[in-house]
Amino acid sequence: MGLPAKSARIDGRRQRSERTRQTIVEAYLALLRESPRIPTAGQIAERAGYSIRSIFERFPDLHALRVAATDHAFAIGNTLATPRDVDGDRPTRLRSQVETRAHTCERWLPLWRALNANQGESIELKMRIRLGREMIMKRLELMYQPELSSLSEVDRKRTLITLEALTDFESWGRMRELYGLSFEQACALWIRVIDRLLPPTPTPRH
Amino acid sequence: MAAPSRSAVIDGRRQRSERTRQHIIEAYLALLRESPRVPTAARIAERAGYSVRSLFERFPDLLALSLAAADFAFTQANAQAVIRNVSADRPTRIRTQVETRAGTCERWLPLWRALHANQHYSPELRQRLRFMRDAVMRRLELMYRPELSALVEAERRRILIALEALTDFESWARMRSDHGLTSEDACAVWIRTIDSLLPATPAVS
Repeated sequence: MGLPAKSARIDGRRQRSERTRQTIVEAYLALLRESPRIPTAGQIAERAGYSIRSIFERFPDLHALRVAATDHAFAIGNTLATPRDVDGDRPTRLRSQVETRAHTCERWLPLWRALNANQGESIELKMRIRLGREMIMKRLELMYQPELSSLSEVDRKRTLITLEALTDFESWGRMRELYGLSFEQACALWIRVIDRLLPPTPTPRH
Repeated sequence: MAAPSRSAVIDGRRQRSERTRQHIIEAYLALLRESPRVPTAARIAERAGYSVRSLFERFPDLLALSLAAADFAFTQANAQAVIRNVSADRPTRIRTQVETRAGTCERWLPLWRALHANQHYSPELRQRLRFMRDAVMRRLELMYRPELSALVEAERRRILIALEALTDFESWARMRSDHGLTSEDACAVWIRTIDSLLPATPAVS
């Protein structure tokens, strides 16, 4: 059997390095889910099964690791939170939007908290936080398009701002952690309140 | 002239020490308002006009200083957020509650953020944050008692949780920074939202 070509060896090395990078990102996210404290490089390396040096060979500093973890979370979050029932009736759209958002909050709240706590003066993290919020707004606009279209521009903006505040990560966190609501109870609360805040659904024209 | 008595000397020293402590807390709060970064001991000491050693003579660590700042802020905020118009009509009560809450958010947001970011390192800090949220809930209950009293317990709780989420510090901050609303426009958003969330005001019998 001949030796592998040089390009095949480089490809293999690159794949291994990518896997290591991915394992480090996942270790960071797993630690965040277990404890609200920001993990140290030593803890991340131990969880990932690599040395601290391995981490800093792939990420110049912990800030770069946070940015990579955020991008990873965005990619997964987008895949999991596919818009569903966009043309459903009002109760179906309400349930669909709330449940999708609730799952996102349940899964990504620890990372969101770490991002906010670490954003400091980091332009990259601030930009990602902003992007995350814009995506939430766009989703709300999409799911409640029939109701929002009946409002003036100013009222539409006001309603969107209110809905975004209501369905914020920390609002979810407080319902679950502080007020002790179950996942279903918390969803039911959001559904009732959003239903109350939205204007009546216009009758479709035939 | 007779020498001051021993207790007068001790009292004077205690007062000076208390003033130094207060200056340090105020320097910490001023720095938080200027930048979102949690200030270092050296910056706080410099701003207050004392040495770092003086700071650590009064506070064992920066967490203790943030706790003292939280207590100071809570007292101040309570004094500023005087309860008004509790028995007024619905629009007056909504406007009063919203403007009072907006004033608190506008003034204390930087400290709130610093406390929030550090809460996982101190049970005392968590307890104070909880206490502050309880105070917000109690104020909402007081101001909207006529409307809330018409609801069953479960529904009342739901409305209170929703009102608390909507009038949170960060909700205010996003209206002002991300969405660029003026203080008046942001108050108008809250007023409309609260008005649509509350049930009808029962007629006075």
